[in-house]
Amino acid sequence: MQVSSARTIGKERTGEWIGRLIENAEVVAPTAAQAGDVIFRKISSPVEVQWGSDNPLFPPKQVVLPQTDPLVTISRGADGLVVEPVYDERPRVLFGVHSCDVKGIDFLTRMHAYDLADTAYLRRAAALTSVSVACITPCPLGFCICCDAGPFLAESFDVQLTDLGDRFLAEVGSEKGGRLVEPSADLFRTAEAGEVARRHELEEAAKRAFGPETCHFASAMRRVSVGRVSAELWDEIAGTCLECGACNFVCPTCYCFSVKDQGRDGHWVRCRTWDSCQFRAFTREASGHNPREAHRERVKRRFFHKVSAQYFRRDGAVGCVGCGRCVKVCLGTSDMPAVVAAIRKGAWHG
Amino acid sequence: MDPVLTTCPFCPCGCGFYLHSQDGKTAGVIPSEGHPVSHGRLCARGWGSHEAPAWGDRLTEPLMRHDGRLRPVSWETALEAAADSLVATRRAGRTIGVLGSARATNEENYLAVRLARGALQTPHVVSCLTATYQPLLDGLHDVTGRHAGSGTVADLEHCEVIILVEGDVAVTHPQVAGAIVRARKAGCRLVTIGAVASQMTSLAALSIASTPGRERAVTFALVAAALAGGRLDTATIVAAGASFDALRRSLAEAEVSEAVARAAGWYAQAQRAAIVVAPLVADAAELRRLAGDLATLAAATGHLDRDGSPLLILPARGNLRGACEVGASPNFLPGFAPLSDDGAGSRLEGVWGVPPVRETGLDAAQMLTAARGVVIVAEDPTAVMPAGALAREALRRMECVVLLDAFATPALELATVVLPIASFAENDGTVTGLDGRVRQVRAAVRPPGKARPGWAVLAAMLGRLGPATEYHGAEEVRREIARAMPPDIGARWREVDEARVVPRAERNGGRRPSLGPLAPCEPIEPAPSVAVWDGVLDWGSDPLVRYSPTLCRDSAAQRKLFPGGFVELSKEAMDRLGVRQGWPVRLKSAGGEAVAPAVMRADLAAGVVVVPFAFRDALAPVMGGHGVTSVAVERA
Repeated sequence: MQVSSARTIGKERTGEWIGRLIENAEVVAPTAAQAGDVIFRKISSPVEVQWGSDNPLFPPKQVVLPQTDPLVTISRGADGLVVEPVYDERPRVLFGVHSCDVKGIDFLTRMHAYDLADTAYLRRAAALTSVSVACITPCPLGFCICCDAGPFLAESFDVQLTDLGDRFLAEVGSEKGGRLVEPSADLFRTAEAGEVARRHELEEAAKRAFGPETCHFASAMRRVSVGRVSAELWDEIAGTCLECGACNFVCPTCYCFSVKDQGRDGHWVRCRTWDSCQFRAFTREASGHNPREAHRERVKRRFFHKVSAQYFRRDGAVGCVGCGRCVKVCLGTSDMPAVVAAIRKGAWHG
Repeated sequence: MDPVLTTCPFCPCGCGFYLHSQDGKTAGVIPSEGHPVSHGRLCARGWGSHEAPAWGDRLTEPLMRHDGRLRPVSWETALEAAADSLVATRRAGRTIGVLGSARATNEENYLAVRLARGALQTPHVVSCLTATYQPLLDGLHDVTGRHAGSGTVADLEHCEVIILVEGDVAVTHPQVAGAIVRARKAGCRLVTIGAVASQMTSLAALSIASTPGRERAVTFALVAAALAGGRLDTATIVAAGASFDALRRSLAEAEVSEAVARAAGWYAQAQRAAIVVAPLVADAAELRRLAGDLATLAAATGHLDRDGSPLLILPARGNLRGACEVGASPNFLPGFAPLSDDGAGSRLEGVWGVPPVRETGLDAAQMLTAARGVVIVAEDPTAVMPAGALAREALRRMECVVLLDAFATPALELATVVLPIASFAENDGTVTGLDGRVRQVRAAVRPPGKARPGWAVLAAMLGRLGPATEYHGAEEVRREIARAMPPDIGARWREVDEARVVPRAERNGGRRPSLGPLAPCEPIEPAPSVAVWDGVLDWGSDPLVRYSPTLCRDSAAQRKLFPGGFVELSKEAMDRLGVRQGWPVRLKSAGGEAVAPAVMRADLAAGVVVVPFAFRDALAPVMGGHGVTSVAVERA
């Protein structure tokens, strides 16, 4: 991927830029919500963007993989059932997203292109362009640095902004990204050498600023991959997991799903819905048999998929972008850093 | 449509999230990080709560039974038929009643109470689950003078000791279970009391086994142990005076085990310590005494109303506390005002325009048996009542069954008039959490078809039966509730929580608890085995679970594998009987006998047989409508 030369845009002009993006696409950005939360949603005005907010708890994964995702419509026609695929190819811009979430969507797109290509997903993803903001300050629970998913991105991004105080440095990382910047070239100017140098200083400072919340994937991977984690340890971890599924739902790289028809009386919409590998019924077979009846087997499966060498080789990354959301949403105490630490140390302190 | 902040409809923890919709249907849940209860943490039910409103079999138009079949009619016709049939039944001198529900909002429950005690002039208004909760509140009232515990779920996280009278909170109240798991990680000592092992007992520092239905034997002993161990709250004891000596004497016969003594010691010595009572299967008198014991324990050790020392009674379902509090309870007017309270009577007359009926009402089981006409607000008594089959028979005998619901439930087959109402996702109003805070429910989408909000339908019924009543929104009903309540409780209803408001502990306004003698603990007669419902009401029959493609799977699979039901036995019992997984066993009790397949449950004590609530009707000959009974088990 050719990274074009960097430009800058004054902060006072970003509103105009976003306004132009809204004219041509559905723009999704972090916005303020009722209870003081920040959530991603479609904006109709640049003023709605919550700049500099902490990474929203709920990831923008829903933009490419909605919680309820219509795949086909089925209706009764004169000659039997008529099945029509549903494609959502609306041009979308995901604005103000953090680095880890860009990596998450990149991971999901690889998974949906792998083996049997998932057209519904891929068409939606192809119409999406991201404008990410590099993280100058790591979030308190983030460990993206351990997953090669931040705080700054060297690849996978469309447009990456770096906050330089009164302006942003904008790097274009893809053709799609270029198509967001080129038509608004009048709002940007070519970056000076000092501005590019400043961006690299900020990246180095951000990397140094990571706190204790890190994940030692390498040693955990060795143990998980060769089955050197005892059943007792998985049992202990499972004992503090309340099977809420939240770690799956907020994980930028999880894509477990179920399929169900919505509607009745001659018209149905077949929907893909989010699911969780932690739910007992997720792995139950049609016969009623459940190969992962024991809770520890489901917990083990999740972390095997996330951090084993087998999946690392296939996916080219651990199934984690270090966003730290699972730490916040875990109803119990079995979040990613805690479990990885337990696997590494062979002891659970949850 | 923009995501809308609302309160979870399932259990009473009171978690908050945004409901997100597409094309007029709920399509997803976004957790609220700033919410004071859930902080972005939701359980599987919360995460799946958007599904049932969109996928469920929804009631979309008013229906009336004609020639044995339900047929669509206009709202006008349905409301008129509902009012006329209720009035005719009452005029014929027959009993009529109203069932509120833990699945309905406070506004809907309150209007159900006003409909009964006001417009229909009947004292029979209650919810199907009132009997599982009200006796515990009465037990607290005996000691503390108020029908409420204190503290919040969040307090649990900072406790040094938690005494949990366990059912299975990891399943029934996951947010409470989560707080306990996190507290334990921070070093808290968890003490569980229960007959059946659960995820929480596996985490306990001390797990005290009890006989099913007789958990009170342990709580009684805990009070005795605490008093024997010293470290009591001097001010409370001095204030109690001679009553404290009477309390001490009443405990003379208590049998205190080493484990109980240790638990009582931990509790008394801790600076911040909690008592949590999960929904229990026991009779009303036993529940009342158990709550009295625990309130006495908290008061004598100085934990009652202490900051950071919560005493939480967990209602079994979403808005059960709210339903009881607004008056869906046989012995109270709204706000737990006694029926004999003349002030409350005239206050309600001022608000309602008619004097309230102030006789004692029947409980739900008695009412269904006695009544010939009933209004059911968002409930399926056949699924929720302990004796489901009897409820079905009782409804079949009735002359009029006016059913308000958002979903098609098995109760539909027994209804004479069906009034379709909004589900939680389409409704405005409030619900009361287990901590007593009143929280907002907000509509994220419009009700389907001709369905209307439940409060509006009940208001329309009121208008037909009594003085003209008009509300311009659920908000106005809530303001009326505040006026109908005794002033101290009404205040809580005036200022509804905004999400960021941290709930306050309920205070006793400087009143001292009244310590006194506790009722003796009756001896537990030895029995070969004790059969008990699993203590977790059947979530599988709740329409919000049944119609959710994700949430229904476990219960659906259970029903598919064992259509006629099953019972759970310990490994020891199965070995002794020589039966394997799925083999039939015969259960015999004083009431009768039944045969069911046996399923092994590793963590069960020998001598305990668990009967899943969902299959209670299949085992009805043995259980006879009771939650606990002595049985003999043999190979069939």
